[in-house]
Amino acid sequence: MAKQSRTEPPSTPALRIRALESLLVEKGLVDPAAVDEIIDIFEKRIGPRNGAKVVARAWADPEYKKRLLADGSKAIAELGFTGLQGEDMVVLENTPKVHNMVVCTLCSCYPWPTLGLPPNWYKAAPYRARVVIEPRKVLAEFGIEVGPDVEVRVWDSNAEIRYMVLPMRPEGTDGWREDKLAALVTRDSMIGTDIPKVKA
Amino acid sequence: MNGIHDLGGMHGFGPIEREKNEPVFHEDWERRIFGLLNLTMGAAQIHVDEIRHAIEKMPPAEYLASPYYEHWLYGAEKVLAELGLVTPEELDKRTAEMAKREAK
Amino acid sequence: MPALPKAMVWEVVKGGMSARAQVDAPARFKPGDRVVARNINPVGHTRLPRYIRGKQGVVQSNHGGFAFADTRAHRQGDQPHHLYSVRFEARELWGADAAARDAVYIDLWEPYIEPAN
Repeated sequence: MAKQSRTEPPSTPALRIRALESLLVEKGLVDPAAVDEIIDIFEKRIGPRNGAKVVARAWADPEYKKRLLADGSKAIAELGFTGLQGEDMVVLENTPKVHNMVVCTLCSCYPWPTLGLPPNWYKAAPYRARVVIEPRKVLAEFGIEVGPDVEVRVWDSNAEIRYMVLPMRPEGTDGWREDKLAALVTRDSMIGTDIPKVKA
Repeated sequence: MNGIHDLGGMHGFGPIEREKNEPVFHEDWERRIFGLLNLTMGAAQIHVDEIRHAIEKMPPAEYLASPYYEHWLYGAEKVLAELGLVTPEELDKRTAEMAKREAK
Repeated sequence: MPALPKAMVWEVVKGGMSARAQVDAPARFKPGDRVVARNINPVGHTRLPRYIRGKQGVVQSNHGGFAFADTRAHRQGDQPHHLYSVRFEARELWGADAAARDAVYIDLWEPYIEPAN
């Protein structure tokens, strides 16, 4: 970025980005309609309801759950949630003995096809710095407590494998239809900072 | 590189601030740079690793203080300049021209 | 390459761009192996964080061959390597005050690790 003198107001990113777009369009590198389209895809058409469907299917169908844990990419693809930043998926099962959490300490890597784009807190310094060293304190901030006999595993997504947590199915959901199960699955529970429960 | 981005285990960052009902994009410019960078990477065959490394070279204070998608703008500008696809001078000039037009 | 048209965006997004790549050399490590993360401090790009360097862990699995970020970032080619999931005990990383059972799992390309003594 251009050096700013102390007497000039900083140029806002908005103007600079409009300028960048106009140059990229002139140079034939991007089509503005395609830009609109990819924005729309990630703002409206891809999001954590995708991941919730995967979780609900795994809760309802033990054979699907086995496939999901054996080969995340392949099983998630059965539901059609493939693509950019989710090409190589590993699904992590929470159990009474193991609680999994996902982070990208180095930047913001996140499984887009199943969870959409990450929230700011996932990409900002506090979560990235703290969850690998004090995961239980981080969980407490999210209102979640796991006992000392539970093993907390923090997965740092530093390469191109993308991770998603399969949270435990809550008590009191026997016989529930998949769509009702999916409604219990929060975005944060697939990152590992929440635990699904049936509202009292 | 041993950059500011390598945050794992650092102390001093305080509580994790969460926004209720956070939108996917907070500003129109965030949407725009998201779309632009993704498509430019495809068109110019730029790997995500190149963009990540460019972002790692942000001045540390700027990296920590700026909104997330400003990192994307920084990375885009840096790599496009390195590849000779968009020079900083071109971009400064176009930005100034547009500022003038919009001030009218 | 010309600008991607709007009509092709969805396909490209759904297709993605996997970094998986063929590695001809046999894997040096297997699940259960004790390894140590190398103490490297490159000025260029690496995905080996400082908090892991010099620490000992146990290989959990081999994800397969993947393009190497350290070279791709500098347009030096994919140069794929075996990518391993490695478990590091919290106490190994952070000292005796860390929770006894907790651990960090991280993905390490073969050049990042050596056999532990």
